[in-house]
Amino acid sequence: MHKAIIIDDERLARNELKKLLSDFPEIEVVGEAANAAEGIEKIEQLMPDLIFLDIQMPGKTGFDMLTELDRAPHVIFTTAYDEFALKAFEVNALDYLMKPVEPKRLVDALHKLQLAEEKEMAASIAGINRGMLSENDQVFVKDGERCWFVKLSEVRLFESVGNYAKVFFGSNKPLILKSLNALEERLDEKVFFRANRKHIVNLRMIEKVEPYFNGGLLLDLRAGEKIEVSRRQAVKFKEMMSL
Amino acid sequence: MLNKISKYWWCQIIGWSVNIGISIFFVTTFGKADHLYIKSLILTCITGLAITHGMRLCIHHFRLLDKPLRKQVLHFVLLTFIFSIIFGMASEGIDALLQYNPERAEKYTAAQRLFISSFNALWLMLMWNFIYFIYHHVEKNRNRELDTFRLEALVKSLELKTIKSHINPHFIFNALNSIRALVDENPERARTAITELSNILRSSMRAEKQETVPLQQEINIVKDYLALEHMRFEERLQIDIEIDPDTLQQPIPPMMLQTLVENAIKHGISKQIRGGTIRITSFFKNDHHELTVQNSGRLNGSLDSNTEGFGIKSTQDRLNLLYNGKAHFEIQDINGNMVESRVIMPVASIL
Repeated sequence: MHKAIIIDDERLARNELKKLLSDFPEIEVVGEAANAAEGIEKIEQLMPDLIFLDIQMPGKTGFDMLTELDRAPHVIFTTAYDEFALKAFEVNALDYLMKPVEPKRLVDALHKLQLAEEKEMAASIAGINRGMLSENDQVFVKDGERCWFVKLSEVRLFESVGNYAKVFFGSNKPLILKSLNALEERLDEKVFFRANRKHIVNLRMIEKVEPYFNGGLLLDLRAGEKIEVSRRQAVKFKEMMSL
Repeated sequence: MLNKISKYWWCQIIGWSVNIGISIFFVTTFGKADHLYIKSLILTCITGLAITHGMRLCIHHFRLLDKPLRKQVLHFVLLTFIFSIIFGMASEGIDALLQYNPERAEKYTAAQRLFISSFNALWLMLMWNFIYFIYHHVEKNRNRELDTFRLEALVKSLELKTIKSHINPHFIFNALNSIRALVDENPERARTAITELSNILRSSMRAEKQETVPLQQEINIVKDYLALEHMRFEERLQIDIEIDPDTLQQPIPPMMLQTLVENAIKHGISKQIRGGTIRITSFFKNDHHELTVQNSGRLNGSLDSNTEGFGIKSTQDRLNLLYNGKAHFEIQDINGNMVESRVIMPVASIL
């Protein structure tokens, strides 16, 4: 059973989609929104696992709205016309549908959703704390023209840049509009460790640990980054990692 | 064309003269240069010029330069051989005429002499053809480049033409989606909407062929267009149309008002969360016909997309073309929160 929200500035478009979705009993439309601000509100309130999102909306676009979410649910984009260079999409956009939506395309998109969910279930850890972001959660990241859905499990490192943070994954390190402190609050500390004032490290991405100056530690990450652990945090680190 | 012929003849004259020059040089350096030899040489070269000219006529007659590369090479080789033999014969003929080098006549048979002469001629012919071949290939490539540029220019001008009748596909698909939703909710509205959409599509196809249309016709299309947009935006689009009835017969470029209204909605109304108002006015002012489209919103930052700039430019271009500079088009912020596009045209007297 999927909880879904439809976000589109046109009432008729929302109705059309609701009508189509009524043929799929496994999808329950729990809410609607007419713009980005309403969308964020409804998402945080109703916690849907699927959203149908119109890209072109007044005020903020669909993409911009996604960057403001802590956790990006599964997204199926809707658009009337392909001018939005969905080639800007690197990976992992669940799907996009062109309006008027052809029922068969909707079936395909929902099927993809089903497969993605099954993959996640197989990889997920039991007993996920609802408030915390788990490794299987994805965030939506935008860097200029490029956008990604990134699974937290793929993120090696967060590095603070002023009030924002750089997200290191693959060969990319785009900027997200969240501070390191804000991230630390939402991330599961058993996986994401605050190594020092400027860095949060994904513990699963550590290849080597060496002692460092002043009672600290030096962490070698999978892609070669070397992160210092402050002395204070090093104590916590050793406690966490000890048997 | 004249230039091209001169170039060819210059090459021929210079080429053969150089041939004469080199031959004389070698003969004077390494052997004896009797004036019979020189006579023979000059006559032979003049004949050579004539023969190669004949070869060129053959090349053009059989359009060898237009054939695919492999066939070209084959034909050129064949041509070279044939004309080498012709040249050989001519060369022997001249020598016989001038009675030059009779010892050779005794040493070798006619056939052998012909073979030797042709063989010597072969290298000359080969080189001649080679140069000719290369020259034309370079020419062809240059022309191809020019053609590409011309094609690009044509495409650009066609784009301009289609802007004239360009209906935003975004609008079409959104309208269709809305109509589909209305089929159950409000079938009557759905039916009229289909008619409105069909009107718009038809007029946009017709716009290609007409230079001007009466304002009345354009207003009808714009009304249909706004009705459809109202269907999508509902209360977020307020419409206000004030047309002086006396201006209804004035001729205006087709789809110009439509484009301005589209832009007003695309860049103004649709970008605002609460939507806004669009206001169209038409009246006579100071011997001119003034047509304005006002919309809520602001200019700064709305003129960023390429098509927007293009739409404005094409409007200006069309007005310039039609009215020869006597029409004006301007777009500006007014009252702090409205944008106004204004077209001023000379008044046309209606018979």
